[in-house]
Amino acid sequence: MPLTMAKAGERNRIKKVTGKDEVRRFLASLGFVEGESVTVVSEIAGNMILNIKDTRVALDKSMANRIMI
Amino acid sequence: MSIKLALAGNPNCGKTTLFNELTGSSQYVGNWPGVTVEKKEGKLKGHKDVIVTDLPGIYSLSPYTLEEVVTRNYLIHENPDVIVNLVDASNLERNLYLTTQLVEMGLPVVLALNMMDIVRKNGDTIDSKKIGEAFGCPVVEISALKAEGTQELISAALSAAQLKPHAIAATFSDKVEAALQQITQQLPGALRNRHQRWMAIKLFERDEKMLAEADLSDATRANLEAIITKCETELDDDTESIITNERYEYIAKVIHKSYKKKVAGLTPSDKIDRIVTNRILALPIFALIMWFVYYVSISTVGTGMTNWVNDVLFGEIVPPAVEGFLVSVGTADWLISLIMDGIIAGVGAVLGFLPQMLTMFLFLAILEDCGYMARIAFIMDRIFRRFGLSGKSFIPILIGTGCGVPGIMASRTIENDHDRKLTVITTTFIPCSAKLPIIALIAGAMFPDSTWVGPSAYFLGIGAIIVSGIILKKTRVFAGDPAPFVMELPAYHVPGAKGVLIHMWDRGKAFIKKAGTIILLATVLVWFLSSFGWNMQMVDVEDSMLATLGNFIAPLFAPLGFDNWKFAVATITGLIAKENVVGTFGILFGFAEVAEDGAEVWSSLQAAVSPLGAYAFLTFNLLCAPCFAAIGAARAELGSAKWTWFSVGYQTLFAYIIALIIYQTGSLINGGGFGFWTAVAFVLVAALIYFLVRKPADINSAGKRLNRKVSA
Repeated sequence: MPLTMAKAGERNRIKKVTGKDEVRRFLASLGFVEGESVTVVSEIAGNMILNIKDTRVALDKSMANRIMI
Repeated sequence: MSIKLALAGNPNCGKTTLFNELTGSSQYVGNWPGVTVEKKEGKLKGHKDVIVTDLPGIYSLSPYTLEEVVTRNYLIHENPDVIVNLVDASNLERNLYLTTQLVEMGLPVVLALNMMDIVRKNGDTIDSKKIGEAFGCPVVEISALKAEGTQELISAALSAAQLKPHAIAATFSDKVEAALQQITQQLPGALRNRHQRWMAIKLFERDEKMLAEADLSDATRANLEAIITKCETELDDDTESIITNERYEYIAKVIHKSYKKKVAGLTPSDKIDRIVTNRILALPIFALIMWFVYYVSISTVGTGMTNWVNDVLFGEIVPPAVEGFLVSVGTADWLISLIMDGIIAGVGAVLGFLPQMLTMFLFLAILEDCGYMARIAFIMDRIFRRFGLSGKSFIPILIGTGCGVPGIMASRTIENDHDRKLTVITTTFIPCSAKLPIIALIAGAMFPDSTWVGPSAYFLGIGAIIVSGIILKKTRVFAGDPAPFVMELPAYHVPGAKGVLIHMWDRGKAFIKKAGTIILLATVLVWFLSSFGWNMQMVDVEDSMLATLGNFIAPLFAPLGFDNWKFAVATITGLIAKENVVGTFGILFGFAEVAEDGAEVWSSLQAAVSPLGAYAFLTFNLLCAPCFAAIGAARAELGSAKWTWFSVGYQTLFAYIIALIIYQTGSLINGGGFGFWTAVAFVLVAALIYFLVRKPADINSAGKRLNRKVSA
């Protein structure tokens, strides 16, 4: 399921980052790669603050939807 | 021979702090990613032959944002003698991702583990020697903020710069390494230089920029494609993912050996974020904080001190002393008038607001330094997206609360061209520090007991941005979705007194400098025009050249409720610098003379215009074309005169319409009766609503024609 469905506080493992473009490459450089675990810190209307590799990254809904957990 | 030392690293890992430490300069440091948008150069302290370059922060060398392009181009084409890769040691894994790429470039790299003080405080340990071995480069532990380890870093960097290029540690799996080897062999002789490994990897990833740059023959391209496809089939993935994954695997291995982390779980930052970015509380908290900041700086602490400066310092102390001195040395009347009524009244009126501005700057510096500012971008993204802007547009706007010029320049971090233009046009709607005195003056003079006028200016600015966002986004030129929002959020920390005070002072200093130069000149000009008649004789203000000019323009503002010529003139001088609005009032209403009693200053304003008219005046001045400096910055970012004219025209028209609506509907509510301009206001409201709710323009040509018909 897409990351946007995850609940705050849950720790999830990334199965896949969909798409194949520079956005995915950018997400990868931020640490969003297959097999990485990601925690939702907070969520406002689909926009999320995520904890990944000990950093907090804010993503909007369209981006979070591309990350499958 | 001079040595070029480049600082590279992730955004917000402390490069600029280190840069300031190394060069002794005081470049702007902010606690959010993307503060440095252009590279900066400086000379190393104590080593005049070493040039330090502060590069914009990047996550990788695959260009996604403009900053990444700037950094990548610099590293490839300028060939620095040594790269100092600054790494946030409290976030090692992600930071080392860039390191894997930097070492591939074949340039000498020194790894600087920054924020070691935080790592130690957390009880974590890092074996820096092992990290150095893994990446084949020297490692120095530093804390840029506390200036620890910088001397060791300098000597490590200088000795690394003397080294010859050496073999680069293999970081990938055997299959990939073999493919890279084959690709390297395919490269023509001219490209077989120290960058060859990096080039091979980029070609392996099918990096478009690199393919274009390498300019390979068709045969070579075909050979490369064969090598890449073969590897992709073997490893069952595309080469880009293979490289990314193997980089992270390598880092994971290195970290496993060298990094011991003590605690896991929710960090304090996460706990704060739970509350502050909570879906229900986020906006109320933001509104409350902003209200508090503006209320305290404009209406309470700041005002008390400003009143003292205005009424006592520039009322009772300075003017009589200066006048006494001037008279005693027998100065000519006109010169006394210039100094007293021109310079002291004008510049003094502006400087009087310094305490309020410093209070404001202090709050903003604290908000910024503690890490909350970056959250605001996240909170606002949800709202801004609905209006066609991304949360990233909010950062230029926030910087714009200090000064519109850096605000406009900060729009460069926005990836999408439409979003960037839209942000440049709307950023200056937010009250900048120079507009603060206008707000403070109007709030103090016309609405002494109200707590809402100061904050309302701020919300008016946001409102103008939102409305303009919707209206412009629906036009053909700006149509399209805003770019996706991705932003790293810094950890919260208690702001350092030194950093906060430096920020406050930096902004305050710029304000004082402006008061001493451009505002001084403008006040002299205003004094001259207001003291002399067309016959070049000194006359009463009401008969001066300025009065004639002002009266000529004033009718334009009659529908807005401030057809007093002094207000018209103040608005025009505001184009030079917004502080001039207050400076001009200072001269025209003779603040220096009546300032012995503060109430008198304000009462002369109250007599000139109704409170509603004053508020319309405030609205118009907040929203209309910014000062010349900001227009210049907008010209640079928009890239053409046409766009600049559009921007200035739009802002001024928008300001006029909003001020007119406020004044006319306000008078109607106050029982002012229904007149021609009330009708105009209603029509304008209707038009505004139409532009807000109409269907967005289509980008395809059929839609274009259709839309033109509809709007015609």
